[in-house]
This record gives sequence, structure tokens and C-alpha cells, in this order.
Amino acid sequence: MAKVPVRPMAAPAGKARSNAFLYVLLAAGISFAIIPTIVVLSVALIPTGVALLVERGKGWYAGATIGALNMAGAAPFLTDLWTKSHTVDGAIAIITSLWAWLVIYGAAGFGWALYSTMPAVVGSFMAMTAGRRITALRDQQKELVQKWGPDVESVYEPEQKIKAAGSTNAIAAMAADIED
Amino acid sequence: MAEAAPEVREAPVRANGAADATPPAAPQAAPPKTNNNAPPPRATPGSFIIVRDRFTIYCDKALPSLDMPNAQAFEVSDRKQEGRPLYALVCKPEMLPRVSVMRTLKGHEMAHMLHMVDWGIAEWPPIERKCVIVIYHRPMGGRLMDSMAGSAKRIPDHMFPKTVIKPLAEALAELGQKGITHRAIRPDNLYYMDEAQTNIVLGDCVTSVPACDQPAVLETIESGMCIATARGSGTYADDMYALGATLLMLAIGRNTLNGVPDSEIIRRKIKDGSYSTLVGDERMPVSLIECFRGLLTDDIQQRWKPENIELWLAGKRLTPVQARSESQAQRAFKFADQEFHSIRPLAYAMFQNWDKAGAIIADGTLEIWIRRGLEVAELADAVAAAIKNSRAMPGAGKDHEDITICRVLMVLDPRAPVRIRDFRVALEGLGGALAVATLGKQKLQPFVDFINRELWRHWVAAQTMFNADNMQWETVFKDLRNYLKDPNSGAGIERCVYELNEWMPCLSPLIADQYVMEVKAVLPALETASKAANIKMWPVDRHIAAFMRARYAKGVSTQIDAMNDPRPDRATIGMLSVLAIVQWRLGPETLYSLASWVGGLMGPVINAYQSRPKRKEIEREMPKLIRKGNLAEIYNYLDNPEERQRDAEGFAWAKAEYAAAEKQAFDLEHGQADQQESAIKSGRQSGAIGAIVICLITYTIFLVSKVF
Repeated sequence: MAKVPVRPMAAPAGKARSNAFLYVLLAAGISFAIIPTIVVLSVALIPTGVALLVERGKGWYAGATIGALNMAGAAPFLTDLWTKSHTVDGAIAIITSLWAWLVIYGAAGFGWALYSTMPAVVGSFMAMTAGRRITALRDQQKELVQKWGPDVESVYEPEQKIKAAGSTNAIAAMAADIED
Repeated sequence: MAEAAPEVREAPVRANGAADATPPAAPQAAPPKTNNNAPPPRATPGSFIIVRDRFTIYCDKALPSLDMPNAQAFEVSDRKQEGRPLYALVCKPEMLPRVSVMRTLKGHEMAHMLHMVDWGIAEWPPIERKCVIVIYHRPMGGRLMDSMAGSAKRIPDHMFPKTVIKPLAEALAELGQKGITHRAIRPDNLYYMDEAQTNIVLGDCVTSVPACDQPAVLETIESGMCIATARGSGTYADDMYALGATLLMLAIGRNTLNGVPDSEIIRRKIKDGSYSTLVGDERMPVSLIECFRGLLTDDIQQRWKPENIELWLAGKRLTPVQARSESQAQRAFKFADQEFHSIRPLAYAMFQNWDKAGAIIADGTLEIWIRRGLEVAELADAVAAAIKNSRAMPGAGKDHEDITICRVLMVLDPRAPVRIRDFRVALEGLGGALAVATLGKQKLQPFVDFINRELWRHWVAAQTMFNADNMQWETVFKDLRNYLKDPNSGAGIERCVYELNEWMPCLSPLIADQYVMEVKAVLPALETASKAANIKMWPVDRHIAAFMRARYAKGVSTQIDAMNDPRPDRATIGMLSVLAIVQWRLGPETLYSLASWVGGLMGPVINAYQSRPKRKEIEREMPKLIRKGNLAEIYNYLDNPEERQRDAEGFAWAKAEYAAAEKQAFDLEHGQADQQESAIKSGRQSGAIGAIVICLITYTIFLVSKVF
């Protein structure tokens, strides 16, 4: 006897709505509680936002590097805000301080510098390592030739090249067939 | 064979007893006709050689009266028996002596045969090379006839059977018992052993290939048709014929056909029969006619044997020889301005007029005449078949026509030798002819063609009488053809020469002058040659390889095969192995010069080792091994299979290592674009991670400092 498919029961619409309301209420509470922090961060993280905008589509590295150092620059002021008087006035005092701007934006600038220079530094390091390796390999080959003579030598041809040559020959063969 | 140990010294002063002990010279007479016009080698004045520590042969005391066509006679003294009359025949290097006959005759004192005391190979100073030297008892009464053009002292008819026929027949009977044919019975090769000229003996028969020195007049029709060197050992019947012709000339006192060309003599013999041709217009003693007819009959079946002579001498009357007449045609066949009524004279005329013979074969007139004129349908059919078969064979032009004529002549005259233009050989004489042609540096192409064209097969097929001896040719010529097909060392025409002639000396230019007849003598000869040889050449050339393969096939076949390897290192080690195995098995123990020569040629073998340190090690060791003079040790050291395996494995490993390094280097050198991308990615990653870490540390520090 065929079973009658059981349709999953839909959650009651009233309960879902009450959950969402609960989350909004919670968020509003927290936001209200951290308004001074948000005020400070909204001004402090402008370089991070710029970085995310400028470097969008190139991964998250720019945002992460600049953002992390931007946040690190804001650390003395935020901790001060959190531990002394977490008020909007305190927040305004921070964002109006030239020193705070210098430190926070300076840190962000350092982040930009780090983001820009690291590839070159790593690249140079990698090139230096490869050069040494090639020299070592050539020395090893020279020793082999000295011991076993030039017959030991061989030329490495990557697969792509061989395939390319093969296809050329095939084309030549086909052309010859056509001519015949 | 034991070789003579020669000793060459300055001649002793006259006071030396040896010189005084030389026997009195035989009556001087002109030497017999020689086959070539080359001047005899000049003897070095005042020198002699001592053979076997016994016989002193005086190089400067020639005895022209005892010369043979292919050997010069010199005085000899015997140290053991002073005063014994001896003389030596020094064989010409360009002629192949009958060594197998020498081995049989040596030391056997046969009645009415020149006694061969000894023979050997010794350095002959006048020509500065080794030669075969045969020492005979010296006949003191001289020759019966000085030359074929000369005259003989008439012997009374009543004494002739007893003093001439009987001793010679006995000598031939004794030779027959030993399985030897003489093949040099002629008036100028008969001697009086005593000064009183009562004892007649047969002369030398070993200093040239069989029947080579015989004039056509003394040979059977068939043998006379051959080129002189290609007559072969023949049979006793051939000796009996020569005896008959010789006796007839002695009875008459001269050669009645002196000055007549050989071709004319043969033509007359075919036309009139040998007896009539030789007698000519001379009057023969009636008492001797029966004997001469019996010996000179052209029918080999009816020809007298020694026992017939014995019976005849005992006075028994024998059945007169009846000449079998050939079929005669009523209608003559015109060819070359002559008329022919029978086949054999026509066949000979066709041979003599070779270029005209093609026409009568091609237009069919010959076949029609045989069928209708001669009325021998079987022969006509055979001729037609020979022509048809020849035309069916691949080939064209003059060469093809020659083969057709050759085959037709075989059918017309099966007893005649194989004739193709000037090349006329009896099958058993092929070896001797090839040997003499090779020794004389003549063209060998006719021999090659003869073997390749399988003319022998057609000749055997054309024979009307069964001869069991002909069965052997199938195997012999099959092998010869295979040798000719093989272009490698150890085969070719050189191999044919050595296979066909058991006692052919090795003709390698390196050792030819040392007259090497045995494999064990090759290495000592090479040792001697190495002192003056071009050390860039291999010591084993085509002749030495063929000689060794023919004489010592079981011992060196594998090694000679290796020598023919296309890889230089394998070929070189093969050459070394040939010499090494011969030294190891046959000696001598040390070969310093040869080892040095061979060691210098081992470059390809040393270079076959890939490992440079190994090569240097070998190069350091080689001089030590060479100083030992043992080729087998050098071979074992160079061809060590374990070392080779180790070297090959090491090389394979090194190649793989090189390739892996090459790939890595390639990847490192050619992967820069990928590397840059990787560097950017890694740099940004590490930057981000570093920044996050700094951020976390900063917050931790500040929070901790504020709280505490």
C-alpha cells in the first residue's frame, strides 16, 4: 500500500516574526551600548574602507593588512574609551584629537606600506633561493660529466614542448598526405 | 708438421769440412722450361742455412741442372752422413707445393722414385722470407731428357721394357698403393740415379700444384684443356697416360710435337686419338706398340693400369685396345671455316671460336644438325634443354651468352673441364688454381663467378658416367657460395682459398713471408711481424681471420663473429679474444711485442667504459699487463662482465641524476612568471597575517595594561 507523502509542517509565521524582533531588539541594545566605540571606529576605519574599495576583486589581503594595523592604531584610544568613560563625549574627544588621527592613520599607512612591499620582499627572497639551487644543480651536473663523460648529458624538454612538436609533425604529415 | 729450425750464418771458409763434403756436381744440363719468366732470385754469396741442425743448404751453390719449373735446386750437405749426395729444392713462394704428398713421401725410400729425405719451412736468405724446402737424394746420372725440346739417349728396343718401363711402372704402382698420384711424369723429370745411368727414377712431384708443370702433350685430352694450375690431382689413369706419352717420347728419342701449340695438339688428339697424334710419322718398335696403345688410349675405362704393364712385361698378350668411334654424321656441319662430322671436335672448335659459337646455338643450327645430321635425338634434346634453361636464368648480355655456350659445351663434351672463355677448370683443380691465382695476386673474379653461377652443378648433371666423387661437390660449393655471400672477416674468397687448400699458407701481408701453414704458428709470426708492422692496423686481418676459421673453426668462430660486430669496442675486444684464445690454447706463453701492439689498439674498449676514473685505472694497469705478454690476461681484465655491469648501472644512474637535475634547473629557470605570482600571493598573505598578529598583540598589551 502506497504511503501518503507527509508534507513538512511550516513554522508558524508568528513565532518567526517574534524571533526576528528579538534579534533586532538585541542588536539595537548592543548598538546603543557601543555607540561611542562605533563613533570612533566609523572615523578610524576610513582607510580600511578605502583599501577594500580600491583593492576589491584582488582578495581580502589589502583589507586584512590595512584593517588590522588600522585597528592596532586605534587600540590605545579604544581601550582608553572602554576603560575610562564609554560615552559619546569621550568618543568625540578622541575623533577630534589630532594625535589620535595621526596614530590611527599612521598605522593604516604602515599597513599600506606592508601590503605593497611584502610581495617584492618575498619575491626577492625566493629568487635568491632558486639561484643558489640552480648553481648547486649545475655543479652536480658538472661533477657527473667529469666522472661519466659528456654522454651522461641530456636536455630536458617539458611535455608542452614535446606535445607542440608532435602536433607540428602531425600537421606536417597531414600536409604531406594532402600533397600526395 | 714440424717446421725446420733454420740458422742463417756467414758461409764457412773453404777449409770448413762441410763445403768440401759437397758431392760432385751432376752433369750440367739446361734447366727445364719454367712457367714464368721471372728471373730467379739472386743468391747471397757466401751464405748458407742449417735445417734441423743437420742439413746445410748452400744459398750460393745453385744446381741449375736440377731446377724444377717452380723450385730452384741448391747443394746440400748432411752433417750426420758426410758425403751423402743430396740436393734441396727451394719452392717459389708464388707456387703452392703439395704438402700432403710431402708428408706421405718423407723418409719413405721407394724403388725408382727420387727419395725425399726431408722437407720443411726455413728462412731463405736470397729472398728474405721463409720458403718450403725439399731435400732429395741427388741423382748422379742427370736427367733422361734435358728438356721437352731436347732429345734423349736412345735405349735399345729390347732393353726398353726392362730398364725404363718396368721401374717406372713399379714406382707408379707403389705410389698408387699410398694413394698418391704423381702428376709430373715427363721425360725431363726422370733421372738416372747412378752415374752409370742404369737406374731410372721418377723425379719430384711436390714442388707445384698437381700437373701444373706438365705440357699438354703429356696430359690427357681433358686435362690438357684445363689451365695448367686447374688440372687437379687427377687419378692413376692420368699418371698412366703421362707415363705412356713419356715412354713414347723416350722410345722415339724426342718430342715429335715440339713447337706445336697446345690447342693444336689437343685438336689432333681429339680428331686422331692420342697415340696417333704423339707417334706422328715416326716408326714405332713393334714390341712396344701394344703397351703404348694401352697407356695412351683416350678411353679411361680401357687405359692400362700398372698390373696390365706387369702382365705385359711377363709376356702375356692382352686384349688389343679398340678405339670407340664416335657417332659420325653423314652431313658435315660447317663452323669456323671447318667441316665437322662428329661432336667432340666440333665442341672443341666451338670453345676455340667462342665468339662464333653463340650464333650457331642461338639460331638453332647446332641443335638441328645434331637431331637430323648426327641423328642423336637425346643429345639434341639435352642441348635444347641447356639453352632453354640458360635463357630462363636471370641475367643478360654477353655474360648470359657465355653461360649458354658453357652449358652447351658441357652437354656436347661432358668429359671436358668446365670452360667459360679462357677459364677452364676441372672441379678438383679449382682449389689449386685459386691458390696459385691468389699467391700470384691475379684477378679472382673468374673464380667468384664460377662459384656463384653454379657452373659445377651443370657440369655434374651433364656427366654420362656416374662418379661417386661428384657427390661431394654439392656440399663443397654450397659452403663456398655461403662464404662468398658473407662480407665479414673470416669469409669471402679468402675463406674459399683456405677451405679448398688444406696446406695453403696464410697470405696475410703481415705474415705471408713467414709461410704460416698452421694456426699455432700464427701468433709467433705476428710477434715477429709486430716489430715492423704498422701498429695502427689490426693484427687480425681478413686473411688471418679466414685462415683461422678454416683451420680452427671450433676454437675461434665465436670470437671472429664478435670481431665483426659493428660496434667498435665489441669488434676490438673480439679481435683481442681471437688472439687470446689461440694463445691460451696453442701458446706460446708470452708474446711481448704482440701484446704491446694489441694493447695500443684497445682504445675503443677502454672508451667503452663510461666511468672516467675506471678508464684511468685501466690505462694505469695496461702497461703492467702488456709487460706480462699474456693476451688472455689482457682480455680477461678488459672484458670483465662484473665491471661492465657496474659501469653500465652507474652510468644509467648518473644519466637519471643528470636528467633530474636538468629538470629541476629548467623548472627553476623557466618558472619565473609563476614564481612572481607566487611571491605576490605569499607576500600579501604573510603581510595580512603579520598585521593581524600585530593587531592582536597591540590590543592584548593595551587591555592588559588598562585592566591591571
